[in-house]
Amino acid sequence: MTHRRWFTPWLLAGPAVVWLAVFNLWPAVNTVILSFTNAKPLGGGRFTGLENFQRILDDEQLADALLNSIVFMLVCLPLLTFLPLLLALLVQRRLPGITFFRTAFYTPVVASAVVVALIWGWALDDRGLVNGLLRQSGLADSPVPFLTDRWLLLFSAIALTAWKGLGYYMVIYLSALANVPRELHEAAAVDGASPVRRFWHVTLPGVRPTMMLISVLISVSALRVFSELYVLSNGQGGPGGRDMSVVMLIQMYSRGFTGHLGYASALSLMLFVITLGPMLLLLRLNRKAA
Amino acid sequence: MRRIWAALTTAVLTATALTGCGLGSDDGKSSDSVAGAAATGEVKGKVSLQTWALKPKFTDYVQGVIDGFKKKYPGVEVEWLDQPGDGYSDKVLSQAAAGTLPDVVNLPPDFALPLAKQNLLLDVAKADPKLADEYVPGGVDAYRFAGQDGVYGYPWYLNTDVNYWSSELLGRYGLDPKKLPASLDELIAQARTMKEKSGGQTYLMSRKPGLGDLYNAGVKIMSDDGKSFTFNTPEAAALLDKYRDAFKEGLLPKDVLTNTYAGNSKLFNAGTAAWTTGGGNFITSIATDNPSLAPKIVSSPAMGTPPLYVQGVSIPKSTRNPAAAVALARWVTSPENQAALAHLTSVFPSTKASANDPFFSRSDGTNAGDAKVIAFTSLGKAKMIQPVQVNDAMSTIVNQQIALAISGDASSKQALDSAVEQCNKLLKG
Repeated sequence: MTHRRWFTPWLLAGPAVVWLAVFNLWPAVNTVILSFTNAKPLGGGRFTGLENFQRILDDEQLADALLNSIVFMLVCLPLLTFLPLLLALLVQRRLPGITFFRTAFYTPVVASAVVVALIWGWALDDRGLVNGLLRQSGLADSPVPFLTDRWLLLFSAIALTAWKGLGYYMVIYLSALANVPRELHEAAAVDGASPVRRFWHVTLPGVRPTMMLISVLISVSALRVFSELYVLSNGQGGPGGRDMSVVMLIQMYSRGFTGHLGYASALSLMLFVITLGPMLLLLRLNRKAA
Repeated sequence: MRRIWAALTTAVLTATALTGCGLGSDDGKSSDSVAGAAATGEVKGKVSLQTWALKPKFTDYVQGVIDGFKKKYPGVEVEWLDQPGDGYSDKVLSQAAAGTLPDVVNLPPDFALPLAKQNLLLDVAKADPKLADEYVPGGVDAYRFAGQDGVYGYPWYLNTDVNYWSSELLGRYGLDPKKLPASLDELIAQARTMKEKSGGQTYLMSRKPGLGDLYNAGVKIMSDDGKSFTFNTPEAAALLDKYRDAFKEGLLPKDVLTNTYAGNSKLFNAGTAAWTTGGGNFITSIATDNPSLAPKIVSSPAMGTPPLYVQGVSIPKSTRNPAAAVALARWVTSPENQAALAHLTSVFPSTKASANDPFFSRSDGTNAGDAKVIAFTSLGKAKMIQPVQVNDAMSTIVNQQIALAISGDASSKQALDSAVEQCNKLLKG
């Protein structure tokens, strides 16, 4: 007869529960608490009710940051959902030397986001490689302000994110494509379906759950964009700070001895709620389609 | 049993939540009691010293200072901690929050202010009544803060800005290195000549203005009580208008809008800009990166009031060894030890006794020596231009709004009003 003690499951799950509670649950709960205070890194703070949330409504820079984050997400979402799929379809074929291309497409994923952004920053600078080529080829008389124009800077950051993320999502699609039954393709081909129809009616439904997962991942990470914009704008958020993302704003308010942890926490909470939106929408769409 | 666990967890979380927001606070000791202990206590036992990025370049120097201290006070043990240059403010913040600040800490005034406000630092004027007699007034004043009684650090080494010009670029593009611009209008006029003669490939001006430039235009940056910013004046707007016109004319590189201050010296080093500002040791440091440029640099005093940069050492009130901490802080900042440091690199002592040292007032005939003399002479009228209340977020906001004004996307008045409004909000917190 086995003897079960009540605490055995707690002993087994204990370390993981403590880890989650200390490093995940507690910081999340503390963020909610701090958002209702005027806390500073030193000296604590006092309860200020909804003051931080009222301040959010009056923050003009936040309006710009929100717009940037949303544009970032809306452009990155289709780019990083469909391009990696097309890339995966190309490199899944068993051709000589295809491993080289798979590795080449994946290489940017391995590189640090900050290092990649620095390299792009040098390339897109007024005196950088891209402007040099544009001027030498006669396509531009004066330097294109990739890093000093609000929208060009934002789209440069989007291009960088897409370039860096392609390989990662391509690998996820490759594994999903491997799970689409070959017999379905063969049957469709026998029935006379063209490659486009086979892609539409066999491949796409086969990878739809993966596509949804990727869309959710992209929408969340795009709304939380930081490194790409921060490094390309030298930490200044572009001219007038109009290229700041919400996370850059949170970082700006929270850093240093006199950081406004209360307001930064309120912004974090707002970003969390906003992030839930596209996630829930995509999951709902997926359920409907299923 | 489940209910008991749930209740316990809730209780722990609630208790932590109620006590957990915010970190660090006054440790309850008064400056008087710690200062008293410092004055009457014996200098012995363990004491820790924290410096900022002095290893490995100044390892021998600091070790020599520590050895001298141990020789002077047998029985004392010094633990030296040197923190890396990057992230020093975060390190100090975490130490302050955890109550683990070393006994003597290198803190520039803007780091010392928030700690002094939280009553974490010792008023060294109480522990050391001779302070004002031995250190230069500018250095001591840097550690007096509006709304706080006392002095919260021993001034250590000082520096200021000097103008550096590339004589090669000036000569090549029709400008005379002996007739250097001494005002903004002259600078803009010469920048125009350089742009025309270089076909827009080389710049004389390569940085956007900051609070220092506003101050030199006669603008009051902050109210006397340190409770609000006041730099949104017509004079400030007129200055930004001049920069906006110069930018529109192509006298400044486009990426000046997003570049931080380091961009200016980077362009100078690369031979794309003919003017930059830097500390007294700029030529020596550039000789490593660009040996061919270094001999062609000429220096001149900063335009307007030169900025005063102060480094100092503070003592946390929580020190367990106040007598040794005060003695060590005095020893590190003593005239002889400061002079030895200043002989190693172009910084300047903050002690009155060092003022007559001919080493600082006489050039060795090199351009680096000339720059050192200019910097030393400038220190006499240098002032802490940027208020210590300006934190990282405020600096970012001011930079952003000035960039907006210069790019023409906002009027100078609008940009300055917005910067002042946002900074005041942050100040009131």
